[in-house]
Formats: sequence, C-alpha cells, structure tokens
Amino acid sequence: MEKLEQLAQRVLDAAKESGAQFAQCVVKETETHEFNMLGNEFSLMRTLFDRSVELSVLKDRRKGTISVNSFEDEALRKAVADCIASAESAEPDDAWEFDSEPRDESFTEGPLVCDAEGLFARTRELAEDIAARHPRIIIEELYTEHKATRTVLKNSAGVSCRTAEGGYNFTLTYSAHEGEKASSFYYGETKLADLDKPFIDCALIEWELSSVERQVDSKPLEGKFTGTVLLAPGALFELVLSTVNWNFVGENALIDGTSIWKDKLGQQVADEQLSLRFAPRAADVVAGERFTDEGYRAEDYDIIRDGRLTGFALTQYGANKTGGVRGGCTGWCPYPHVPAGGKSLDEIISGIERGVLVMRFSGGEPSPSGEFSGVAKNSFLIENGKLVTALTETMISGCIADMLKTVRAISSEVLRDGTCSLPFIAFDGVTVSGK
Amino acid sequence: MLQDLISAKKALFEPGAHTELRMQRNRKRNVMLLAGDIVENNRSDIAGVSARVYRGGRYGFSSMAECSAEAAERVLRAAAENAAFMNAHAPGRKPALPSLPAGRVVCEAIHDPAQRVYTDFARALDNYIAEHCPKLVSRRIYATEDSMEKLLVVSDGTDAHTVLPRSYVYVYMTAETDAGTPVELYHAFGGERTFDLNFTDPAAYFQDIDRLYERLMQKREGVYADAGLRTVILGGELTGILSHEAVGHTVEADLVLGGSVAGRCLGKPVASELVSLTDFAHTAFGKRCPLPVFVDDEGTLARDAKIIENGILTGYMHSRESAQRFGMEPCGNARAWLFSDEPLIRMRNTAIHPGKDKLEDMIASVDEGYYLISTNNGQADTTGEFMFGITMGYEIKNGKLGRALLDTTISGVAFEMLKTVDMVSDQVEWESSGFCGKKQPMPVGLGGPALRCKVMIGGR
Repeated sequence: MEKLEQLAQRVLDAAKESGAQFAQCVVKETETHEFNMLGNEFSLMRTLFDRSVELSVLKDRRKGTISVNSFEDEALRKAVADCIASAESAEPDDAWEFDSEPRDESFTEGPLVCDAEGLFARTRELAEDIAARHPRIIIEELYTEHKATRTVLKNSAGVSCRTAEGGYNFTLTYSAHEGEKASSFYYGETKLADLDKPFIDCALIEWELSSVERQVDSKPLEGKFTGTVLLAPGALFELVLSTVNWNFVGENALIDGTSIWKDKLGQQVADEQLSLRFAPRAADVVAGERFTDEGYRAEDYDIIRDGRLTGFALTQYGANKTGGVRGGCTGWCPYPHVPAGGKSLDEIISGIERGVLVMRFSGGEPSPSGEFSGVAKNSFLIENGKLVTALTETMISGCIADMLKTVRAISSEVLRDGTCSLPFIAFDGVTVSGK
Repeated sequence: MLQDLISAKKALFEPGAHTELRMQRNRKRNVMLLAGDIVENNRSDIAGVSARVYRGGRYGFSSMAECSAEAAERVLRAAAENAAFMNAHAPGRKPALPSLPAGRVVCEAIHDPAQRVYTDFARALDNYIAEHCPKLVSRRIYATEDSMEKLLVVSDGTDAHTVLPRSYVYVYMTAETDAGTPVELYHAFGGERTFDLNFTDPAAYFQDIDRLYERLMQKREGVYADAGLRTVILGGELTGILSHEAVGHTVEADLVLGGSVAGRCLGKPVASELVSLTDFAHTAFGKRCPLPVFVDDEGTLARDAKIIENGILTGYMHSRESAQRFGMEPCGNARAWLFSDEPLIRMRNTAIHPGKDKLEDMIASVDEGYYLISTNNGQADTTGEFMFGITMGYEIKNGKLGRALLDTTISGVAFEMLKTVDMVSDQVEWESSGFCGKKQPMPVGLGGPALRCKVMIGGR
C-alpha cells in the first residue's frame, strides 16, 4: 500500500509541476484467480495481475483525464503530459469540482487472499448440484473468481483514501434442454464475501434454476391483452430501474433537459409502496464503493421514498450544472435497494387474473419518455392466479413512468446478490402481445 | 509500437503443450460534448503480457500489467502451473491440438493523434448542429477511437504483430413532439483507421447531419407501429445485426456445446434459398472488410467461415480446441480484447450476401408493412429468438413510404424468420462502431443487404 501511496503522490506532484491547479490520482493493484466451465466441463484457470493509474487534472478550469496501467517512470511522465495536453484542448468550465475537504481514511474488507482449493471445490459442487437437482439444465458458461484490490486515492486538496478489498463472485449462464426442446438462456452474477455456503443456496439461484427448467416446455402467446406484469428482480433491474437511472434521474438527461422528472423533485412519481435507494454501504453489499469518482466519501442515498422523488443521480459536476444536489455514490444504477413488500410471491401470483411473470427482459432502449417494448424472456403466463405455461415469442410494451404508478404488489422475497436487494414487483396495465 | 520482448521466450515453451504468449496494448481516446460542453475528455492506454498453455484438454492462463521480458517469463510459469492445477483437479485427458503450419503476419504501425484533434472536430460538428438544427432540445457528440496492437508468438501456427484501429463520431439529437414527448435519433460515422485519417473535414459530414435532422423531424410526427406479425423490409443495418446476434452467436462452437439451436441444424435448411451468410476474415465481396482480421490470437491464419450457403447451415465458428472436437477446421475466430483476456470464439465481419433485387422494387412490392432502417440495440437467445430496438422506420402503404415510426421493437426466431425471406437487395451496408459482448467486449463488423421478410413488431 505504501508503494501505491508514494506513486500516487509522485504523479500528483508531477501534475502540479506541469501547471495543473488541481489533480486527483487513483492507483490500483488487483489480483484475480478464476475458474471457467463451458458446456458442463472445466476449461480454464486464470491468474491475473493488474494495475492502473488514473489521473484527472484541472488547469485553467479545463479538465483532462488519463488512465494507464504502467508504473514505469517514463510512462507516467508521458501520461501526465498527455493529461495536461488533454485539459488544454478543452473549454473552461466552472462546473468541474472535486472534494476539497482534507481527510485521511483507510478501509479493509473481505478476504484478501484467494482460497483456490475452496473456490474450485465450490465451483465443482455447483456443477454437481445442478446435474443432480436439475438434470435438464446445461451450463453454458460458469465463471467463478476471487478478486483482491488495493486502491489509493489522493488529491492535491489533501484527500487521501486507502482501501483493501477482497471477495468472490460467480457468473452462471444456462438453459434447459429435453430432446429438441430448449428454454431461453438465463444468467446471473453473485458476489460473496466468503465461501461459507454452497453456491446453489446463494441469492435466488435455486428458484431460478427450477423456473428455467420448467421453461423447456414453452409456447408462444396467442393474441394480445392488457394485464399484470410481474417482474422478477433481474427484469426489474433491466427494464425499470435502468430506465429510471438513465432516462429520469441520470446526469445526462438532467443536464440536457430531456428528463421528464427534471422538475418533479419532492413530487409523487410512483406508487407509495415503492422506494428506491442507491446503497453502496448497505450491509448486504460486498465491497461496495468507498469514494466517488470526484473523491467524495460514498454514501447511501434515496432516489424515491414512498413514491416521492427525493434525489437525482448527479455528480458534483452535474449538480453544479443543474443547480441540483450531488448523489451519494457513482456508477451505473449503483447498488439498488428496493424495500420488500408484505406478500409472498405465491400470494401475489394467486391474486393476478391475467398477466405474465418475467424473469428477463430483452428490449430496445426505452425512449426518453420511458416508452418501451421488448421480449418477455424466461416468462410464464399467469391466469386465474396460477402459472399456466411457460412462454416464448411474447412481447410486453408500455411506459415506465406510467407503470411506476400502477404497482399492484411487492414481494417479501428479495434477491440479494452482493450488489443489490430487489424484490419481485407486479405492475398493472401493461400490454402483452403474442403471435 | 510495442517492442518485441517475447519472441525470444519461445525457448521457454513447455514441450508437448500448446502455448501462446501475447504482448498487447489497447488505447482509447474519447471526447463527449453535451449541450455544447465537454463532459468527457479521456485518454487510456492499457498494456501487458499474457500466456496461455493447453495440456490434456485444459487451459491455464496468466497475465501481468507489464511489458517486460521478466513479466513474460512469470506469466509463462503461472499459466503452466494453472494448466497443471486443472489437470490435477479435473483431468481432461484429451489429445494435443493438431499443429498448424508456421508463419508470420505483420501489419503497419499506426500513430496517435493529439487530444485536440478530437475536441476540435467534435466542436466543429456541434457548432454546425447548434446553428442548423433549430428544433432540437438536446444534442450530443461523442468522438472516439480505440485500437488493439498485438504481438503474438505461438508454439505452432502463425506469429503476428497486428494492429486494429477504428474511430467514430456519434451524433445524438433529441427533439420533442407537439405533446412535449422527447424523441431521439443518432448515427455513428467512421470505421477502421485512426481518428485523424477518418475525420479530416467536418464539412464532409454536414449533409449527413442534415439528413439525420430531417429524419428526426419526421419521427417527432411519427406513429406507433401496429403490433403483430408484419411484412417488412429490413434495411442493411438491421440485416447486419440479425446476422450477428440472431445467427452468428448460435453458431459459435462454444455456444453450440452449451446447447444452442444450431447444434441440431447442421446440414439442414435454416433459411430461404436466397440467404447465404459468412463470417468474413478480411475481404468480403471484393473489398476490405470494415474490421479486417488476418490472424487470430491462437496463431490461426484467418480465412472466411461459411455459415449458411443457399439456406443450408454448413458450419460453425471455432477455436482450435472446438474445431478438433467437431472435426472441423479453425478459421481464425479465437480473439481476445485485452492483454488480460483469454481468446474466445468471436465473430469478425459477419454478413448476409447480397441478392439481385433493387431496394425500390422491394418497397414497391409491399402493400402494407414497414421499412425499418436503424437500430439502437439487439439481443438474441441461443434458441435463435431475437429482439432488435428500432429507432427509425417508415410505414409502407400500397408500395410507397408513409409516415415515420416512433421507437419500437421487432422480434422473431432466426431460423424461422429467415425462411420467410423472399427478396434480397443487391447492395450491402456495413456497420462496425459497436462492441459485441461475450465475457469480454470485442469490435466486430456486421452487414448485409435489405431483406423482405416477416417479423413480429411491437406497437402499443
């Protein structure tokens, strides 16, 4: 860590000597151990030794950023010169701002050393559990890894942070097969702080495998109806939360004024059952963000509370541009947490007259106003309170902004995969169409 | 250019194992203007060395973020240890890979334009749009270049020093309907080569920008498509994404092993007789491909992979290991994105071949349907079920183009939908600005002619 800190200081000093009025440097070293399975068979073991240096400078209110992965003196000298030249090519902009309150912090979290034997054993066990419990499932790809990262952030205003974080994760992609019949593929990624539990018992893996296995017998929907769409956590993220993040509360949409929520802070934008929080420091998040891209301490913050819009996903730059308030963390729809509801998944399904349960959404990017259409992948038709059949070639369409106001129910079951905490949510008034 | 510090390390390769040693640099430059302000102004250079060792049916891989002879030796040792670990814990017991003839491929060096080249060009286009497109509520310009430079030495096969640069300018425009609903359209200009070679004169793009604006103005008065199974003319951009997403991925041999629909279709009809599809290596229809690949990252000299010939599925895309397993020949599809990535089976320039029809005749042949031009994304399943977002299209009524469409989605099952193709245009359109995602990103080219066919279209 001391070596990284010295290197960051050296880069900052060089940037200041080259004329930068402000500089921030993030130095990182990562070691990764990974096992791969393809088509139910072990294929590869990888060991990666990575590092990176990212430098941002402000010179005459102009910003430049560069990232390199060499620690060599000559490469770093060139990086500083290129970064200054980049800044000089830009226009002055008073909105650029980084944390200027001096602080000194250190964090250590998770296992920093890989238990390779343990990780391999859990990997093999998952493949064996799937083969034993779900014989129709074929593993298309399984990647399991341990990653340990040491990071130093320093800026010329006196901010100094160090993190040492380690953890495991696995990414599983699979489909179900029987003779010539096959389901759609399904995938998910899970982050773990330890190897204490069999992988199949983590997150919603067992429920997802069972559901996909049932989808080997699927058929197209006939006709079209308006009904209830029950989104599983993965589909909720892909369709609803991504659109909220990008189109409605995201920085670009607010700066260029295309967000339909730009003037709705404090107003009701969703059903009062619904809240959304970006929570990097939540207890169920594994190695969440510690500091933002601009050097501020990362914190949890609310986007929607009881249906009311309470915050935007703004950096300090975006806040300065729009007159808004900076969000607590950075990244793409970071660490989303939606509080669980009071009904079980089975209870919610039993109350739906006609609708679809959707595990994955494959659709075009929703328009700025939230209009969307796409394929309901890994889905089931719901009729009279029961899952009737698995579906293929079935599309759903509607408007996210409208859907948020038609929440029928939120499940008590939640997906906790180390990056989020998301329930199943049923929305009314969505168009479902088949052949 | 990278200094060759790895060729001399061939002497350290383990006898009896297939070994690849690769030194690589990826560079990326990007500038984004949002409403006239530069909100991104970034440069990135990532370099290092990696080794992969294949023994007994199992691979070991290791990489280091350092371009040095010492790093090359360390990753060779670590990759061999990892292959040994795998064989000890999950023995593969497979024969060695068939050897390939030795060779060497070297490409020309590229230079590195200063950041001001990007900012000045983006600013010139932004100024033009601000002045000439009065009804916009938002505009964005994204100027970018990425390149991969690779030094590869292999235990058998073709050694290489290659470089693949590409650069683009994305122009995004947003307007509002009379009801105040935002509508958006974008286009990416550019292709292979560095930014300064592709973008010498901003004025050369003004006409294209005018056309994009004109289309957006039509779209703001657009209508929803009528949902259901419809006759459509897919423009070349849509045919390209269909070739890549809905067909290409299902015939990647690793996904065939994972249970893709193509596994049970080899030698069978999967499309109309008018349809032939190839994953081109570097030359297609007598011209250089958008993103040519001359040798892959396993040392296989690249050649075309024929996938569909006159409607019959005739082949898959392979790595050396999968080709051995299927008893086929590898064509150079094993590619890695960063130095720290292992080669995976990836597409290169995937396209449906042109036919004999004229686009105007194809449109005139449709009584009621749609002409679909632009897409903003596409996804497909290993079952061949696909979905593409449609951002620009028109109604066709009695053989004539009608009103523009608002954003919609089309879907279908590739090997069923391709059987409905009954007209194929004589012009191929290529696209190469995006990344294919499959564990790692990868630049790919995709293209094709206009097709008349039937697909499901989403409405409201």
